[in-house]
Amino acid sequence: MASISIQHLYKRYGKDKQAVVNDFHLDIKDKEFLVFVGPSGCGKSTTLRMIAGLEDISEGEVYIGEQLVNHLPPKDRDIAMVFQNYALYPNMSVYENIAFGLRLRKQPRHEIDLAVRRAARVLEIEPYLNRKPKELSGGQRQRVALGRAIVREPSVFLMDEPLSNLDAKLRVQMRMELIKLHKTLGATFIYVTHDQIEAMTMADRIVVMKDGVIQQIDTPETVYTSPNNRFVASFIGSPGINFIEGKITEGAGDRLHFSTSRFSLPVTKEAAEAMRRHNKVDRRVTLGVRPEHVGPEGLYSDSVFTAVYKVSELMGADRFLHLDIGQDSLLVARVDAHYRCEENERLRIVLDMSKALFFEPDSGERLK
Amino acid sequence: MLGSLWRRRGRLNRMDGFQKLLTLLLIVLGAFMLLPIVYIFNHAFKPYHELFVYPPTFLVREPSLQNVNELLAVTSRSTVPMIRYLFNSVFVSGLAVVLVTGVSALCAYPLSKHRFPGAGIVFAAILLTLMFAPEVVQIPRYLVVSELGIMNTYFAHLLPLMAMPIGVFLLKQFMDQVPDSLLEAARIDGASEFFVFWRIAVPVCMPAVATVAILAFQNAWGNVETSALFMLDDEMKSFSFFLSTLTNNLANNVAMQGAAAVAALIMFVPNLIVFVILQGKVIATMAHSGIK
Repeated sequence: MASISIQHLYKRYGKDKQAVVNDFHLDIKDKEFLVFVGPSGCGKSTTLRMIAGLEDISEGEVYIGEQLVNHLPPKDRDIAMVFQNYALYPNMSVYENIAFGLRLRKQPRHEIDLAVRRAARVLEIEPYLNRKPKELSGGQRQRVALGRAIVREPSVFLMDEPLSNLDAKLRVQMRMELIKLHKTLGATFIYVTHDQIEAMTMADRIVVMKDGVIQQIDTPETVYTSPNNRFVASFIGSPGINFIEGKITEGAGDRLHFSTSRFSLPVTKEAAEAMRRHNKVDRRVTLGVRPEHVGPEGLYSDSVFTAVYKVSELMGADRFLHLDIGQDSLLVARVDAHYRCEENERLRIVLDMSKALFFEPDSGERLK
Repeated sequence: MLGSLWRRRGRLNRMDGFQKLLTLLLIVLGAFMLLPIVYIFNHAFKPYHELFVYPPTFLVREPSLQNVNELLAVTSRSTVPMIRYLFNSVFVSGLAVVLVTGVSALCAYPLSKHRFPGAGIVFAAILLTLMFAPEVVQIPRYLVVSELGIMNTYFAHLLPLMAMPIGVFLLKQFMDQVPDSLLEAARIDGASEFFVFWRIAVPVCMPAVATVAILAFQNAWGNVETSALFMLDDEMKSFSFFLSTLTNNLANNVAMQGAAAVAALIMFVPNLIVFVILQGKVIATMAHSGIK
């Protein structure tokens, strides 16, 4: 059993300093693949290092299984860690690197040999066992680092941005391999990254962090479709969600509208109820809508408005149009790759209001 | 043969004018640095009439072992056999290399890789000792050695050498470059703190360790101070001290100049050997470290 329970964890450097990790509270299930994601400096790595025992805990408790590990040294926590810069021992061969942890545990020689060769086969690094780390490419080094972790058969794997030093193509490949590895090993994975794509593709649950505070803990799908606040909405998804500043107004027949100086769009019944509940009628709100829910006229008839085409980005199968709708930032719409239009052309654009999210303009909290 | 010559020419052709000039300048400078070494080697084998020729020559014309014989004759007259002095020096220098690099590395490791209160002050104090001239500390050093009651022992040879601030400084700066994650990975793998130091930090810092070892050897091999101040019996004194007594007061003397020339060569050669061996290590470890 390797569930992990983190109880009101704090990290402060210096007594009266602001907390780098602030009231981090989380239960991680056995065999879960959990991803901490957030911008750099949000405390995700620090949290991971506290779980590993590499960083002192200022306040709070960490349990691995049933055991309180606050004062346990890293080697007694039954964990393995993979670092961003691989942290391979440069003076040892690949074989020695992988065998290092087992040797320290005084396992019999033939068992070590068996374990190292099995790990090398799984990770396809068998031909390199006698090489030194510096003779390997980045991807191979990362495999060795993984090998060093898996031979120990720990119950928890901690990974601190393990793929950030790899090139884009290799990263996609290693992502798939990590998912496979997680399935085969049946261990708990905690994975730290600043890359929301890694979080979305691999996680059972995502923990979004900002300034040392957890913003949301949910499945990738929920984090994407139903973010708790403006920060989560903007951090997850690529290209980012569109924000439109406007006002809730009362229209004909008791219907509510979301209005800017240029256009007015009817709000769905559920959203209208939420707006009334939060007392937002005739007040400012921020509307958030993902690029795939914006498109040329013809899809949803009741929410048409005009936008001026500026630039486009071709992504292969899709094209992202950047449109001027009189806001500070351009509105991004996802359309088919073959869609063509002239610069500064006025386009009729629709917006799927059933997918629109509303946020408090000042605090950024979601209105739901 | 022709092919390799052609490739070399190709490499030369790729250089622009400035690079060619720079290469030439470095070759000239390198040759200039080599001159004293060439001189020491040639001087030792010059017969007397060549030693005093004016203008002095660099290269020996009629090499002879006359000077070596002279030195052997002098040493055979001394009460303690030369081999004893040589043993003292080799023993002390060898032990000094091990102890100085060990102590320096043990001192540098926590200063570089651990956070503890007062670390900055300790490091500053170590650096501050670099400012003292050796003469300034001679008397306090004598008092320490004599109070400890270790006069006339090998320990008195070693103790003053053991604190080498420049070694601590070099190693600390080098260890600062070693990523913390390397040591953390070892700790998670289950290594004790000393194991992390010994199997990870020291091997990774091999270039710096080798540099410190070279410095420590030179320090110990050429050291006459401990023999002059702390050794009462002749058989405890070092080879360098013995040679310096032979060749002292020779400023305007013709006699013994040949022996002095050979003595200079003997004092120099071990330094050269140690440097050549460890220099290879320095380059090899830098290239193989795989940290960068």
